[in-house]
Amino acid sequence: MKKEQKADWLLTCCIVILVVIGVLMVYSASSIWASYRFNDHFYFAKRQLLFATVGLAAMQGVSRIPYHSWRRYAKPILLSCFILLAMVLIPGVGLVRGGARSWIGIGAFSIQPAEFIKLALLIFLADVISDRQKLITHFFKGFAPLLLLVMFCFGLIMLQPDLGTGVVLVAACLTLLFAAGAQIKHFVFLAFIGISGFAGLIISAPYRIDRITAFINPWEDPLGNGFQIIQSLYAIGPGGLFGNGFGQSLQKYFYLPEPHNDFIFAIIAEELGFIGATGVLIIFSLLLWRGVRIALGAPDKFGALLAIGIVAMISLQVAINISVVIGLIPVTGITLPFLSYGGSSLTLTLASMGIVLNISRHCYY
Amino acid sequence: MKHVSHVTIRKRIVAVFLLAIAVFMVMAIRLMIVQFILGDKLTDQAETSWSRDIRFEAKRGKIVDRNGEVLVDNVSAPTVMFVPRQVDDKEVVAEAIATILEVDQDLITEQLNKNISIVRFPEGRKLNEDQALAIQQLGFSGVYLAEDSKRYYPNDRMLAHVLGFSGIDNQGLVGLELAHNEEISGVSGKLSFYSDAKGRRLPGLSDTYQEPVDGKDLKLTIDYAVQSIIERELDIAEATYQPDGAWAIAVNPNTGAILGMSSRPNFHPDDYQSVNSEIYNRNLPIWSTYEPGSTFKIITLAAALEEQLIDLEKDMYYDTGVIEVGGAKLHCWKRGGHGSQTYLEVVQNSCNPGFVSLGQALGKDLMFDYVDAFGFGEKSGVDLAGESTGIIFNRDRVGPVELATTAFGQGVSVTPIQQVMAVSAAVNGGYLYQPYIVDSYLDPISMETIEETAPEVKRQVISEQTSEEVRLALESVVAKGTGRGAYVEGYRVGGKTGTAQKVGTNGRYLENNHIVSFIGFAPADQPEIVVYLAVDNPKNTVQFGGVVAAPIVGNIIEDSLSALGVAKRDDGLEKEYQWPNQPLVEVPDLIGLTQQEMVSYLTQLSIEAVGEGTFVIEQAPAPGEKVPMGDTIRLLFGEKVNDGS
Repeated sequence: MKKEQKADWLLTCCIVILVVIGVLMVYSASSIWASYRFNDHFYFAKRQLLFATVGLAAMQGVSRIPYHSWRRYAKPILLSCFILLAMVLIPGVGLVRGGARSWIGIGAFSIQPAEFIKLALLIFLADVISDRQKLITHFFKGFAPLLLLVMFCFGLIMLQPDLGTGVVLVAACLTLLFAAGAQIKHFVFLAFIGISGFAGLIISAPYRIDRITAFINPWEDPLGNGFQIIQSLYAIGPGGLFGNGFGQSLQKYFYLPEPHNDFIFAIIAEELGFIGATGVLIIFSLLLWRGVRIALGAPDKFGALLAIGIVAMISLQVAINISVVIGLIPVTGITLPFLSYGGSSLTLTLASMGIVLNISRHCYY
Repeated sequence: MKHVSHVTIRKRIVAVFLLAIAVFMVMAIRLMIVQFILGDKLTDQAETSWSRDIRFEAKRGKIVDRNGEVLVDNVSAPTVMFVPRQVDDKEVVAEAIATILEVDQDLITEQLNKNISIVRFPEGRKLNEDQALAIQQLGFSGVYLAEDSKRYYPNDRMLAHVLGFSGIDNQGLVGLELAHNEEISGVSGKLSFYSDAKGRRLPGLSDTYQEPVDGKDLKLTIDYAVQSIIERELDIAEATYQPDGAWAIAVNPNTGAILGMSSRPNFHPDDYQSVNSEIYNRNLPIWSTYEPGSTFKIITLAAALEEQLIDLEKDMYYDTGVIEVGGAKLHCWKRGGHGSQTYLEVVQNSCNPGFVSLGQALGKDLMFDYVDAFGFGEKSGVDLAGESTGIIFNRDRVGPVELATTAFGQGVSVTPIQQVMAVSAAVNGGYLYQPYIVDSYLDPISMETIEETAPEVKRQVISEQTSEEVRLALESVVAKGTGRGAYVEGYRVGGKTGTAQKVGTNGRYLENNHIVSFIGFAPADQPEIVVYLAVDNPKNTVQFGGVVAAPIVGNIIEDSLSALGVAKRDDGLEKEYQWPNQPLVEVPDLIGLTQQEMVSYLTQLSIEAVGEGTFVIEQAPAPGEKVPMGDTIRLLFGEKVNDGS
């Protein structure tokens, strides 16, 4: 292995800019809620600042850890994540927030195991595939068992239930398998299974179909399922080209539920306008480009697959979150990486970017 | 198992990248659509969701008579409403407001605890000025006063059926208030403030106030003086005769403008909820249909004159008291008949067989052509809701009997407004006008006329010359014939009596239950006013139009013309006092006769009746006594004949 070089500076810049925008926008979006709930405008902003600091430190730390060392711990990490994920489902241990039993921990120090297992699974898959490269083209010896593992994991997450995280996990893993060279015909076969599975999910939880019809015509049920989409569009539409200006959102006055969370992009579009919103999109695109570049330049298959897996995970989450906010797809309940309020997701995202940054230190361009 | 080359992995990664960039592009395009194409629409909708409106009601337009006299006015009646999230101390506010509104404090507390942005409640509406002032002086935050008004009727029940009334939301419900609701209701204004989703004011955004636009005033053709006179006369008639109903219309025959219109039973628009809806929904002068009786003879007369079938002075008719038509015997109202008369006398005497002869001379087609031309069987088109059409014989089914009865006003069913317009046409030179009651809309501030109704001639029915002959004939009815009660010294009054039989629920004519009417106009050479009055089933009197209705119409015409500024003259026909040089007449034995049977004695003697019933049971002076012609005989009616034997 060649001597370490400097981490990718543009990727680092994108991350830091996104985190800074995140802290500022969480402040703006949450101040009204914070003052109403906790009598402190800065309640969420202060915590987000703390998470950002911890997360950036974690990123810096992780970027110093040679990414190959993760291969050694891939199995124990995955196993402990499975245990945590199972524990979440036990009432009394797992904490219910927003209708899903997704959290574990005590009070303020609670985490979402689903966030951890996404990363753990990507490391594991990259490790196994790069070890036994030829297996991946074989359906029963390679593709199917790995897929079963992913689906098992997805099943556990769906028991919480947390469709958004589950979808991101499956899609990121599939992207990794695709990049690793799995056969196209296997994916076609998978598509059939996927469609039937999707139908099954809808039948098992009818509220999901309501979300889909609400998406098709949110105005049919403006106070029910269409509510979030409508309120989100009421923020984005009036934003126009330049927006109302920082801090000038009207929708954050209790119209948009928890504006600092899943719908923070709507507040960005309202306050900073089309310019601000596309600016954020461009930064995410730059981040994607640098990530892909690192994956292409990675010195080995493990590095390449891990980098593309992590970048895919983050980009998918961005795409799904923003598509929901702008009314392209039904509401799924997923945070916007780097920007949405939340400790677990922010620190995990930054830590995984630390891994990518470390890979970039070893790249051949 | 194939080996996966490094190249494959690179290709796949690039493919993933390109796909991801494409997805990002789609999102950017969608963002453009939402912000630029849907932006305005979404902004409007969002504004609506952010702003909370406190409505300020517009004042309804006033309704005024043709001279600007106010018939319906407004008084301030504000509404108090709460924005609960802005109220600081709900207990204090509830106690103070409850005291002012004189309601239970719990009721106000309940309103203040409602989880909605703006609370309106019935007890907080239509406050008086003192209450509003008191609430204003409290200065509580979250308590708002919005301007509103309610109707005020300075003349109480006057013109109630025509005016109608409006409901608590200032919406027209009945009458002109309903028909012209859109024009007179105006556009409400509002005070808007931006609010968060919990109803609290958003800081830093100013309130906007949009002033209400008051409704247009409605100017009627009604003349306050004429209307007052009609109301007064109907009140007197109601008190004197306790009728089942009574109604009157006065129009200007030269335009079709309605000068006055009223009916009994009446109601107070403020208190409409306490009366039966039939009373306020039925504007009798345009709603009721019934056999017109002799007033309809004017149509037959005009038709016969227009067709030059008779010379009123020269042609003679001999009335035996009965005329046989198609095998049926039609009687004159006077037993024994009127004997030999000129056709002018036929009109003066309202002789039924004489008019039958005119109908026969006209023939079926001409007779009914004129009935149609005078506007019967179709709505007059008056700008009031609830008008009836009436029923005219289907021409295919008209035989000799139907033709004959139509000629003297039986068997057809018409409305009062149709009669008024037809007679107006007969006396105004032959022009059938469309009646109207709304003169114009007025701007409530500048009082400028916005939209004016122009008089509308439907058609000319008879010639000017025929019309003049009709006027003279009808003037002589009042001066010399059955309409003497309507004679007014100094105004040349023309007119015609009517006594219409009513059809009961069994399809047969009712006994002793008539609609007695009179239609009059003046001055006879150049009519300025046509007045129709009908009294339904008057009690304690002889049910005869000349007795009950004619004097009332005389009063209405005299006072109205005076109020309208028409000067008295002395060139009219002299009232023919009942043959002063003639010998005394012997008082007939009327005991045991029914009301209808004794009507024939009325040309020689006046009758004053008391009591109710079918038969005369007592009379004074006694039969056989000699009295001057025109003297009054007092009769007592009862159900059973006081048979001395």
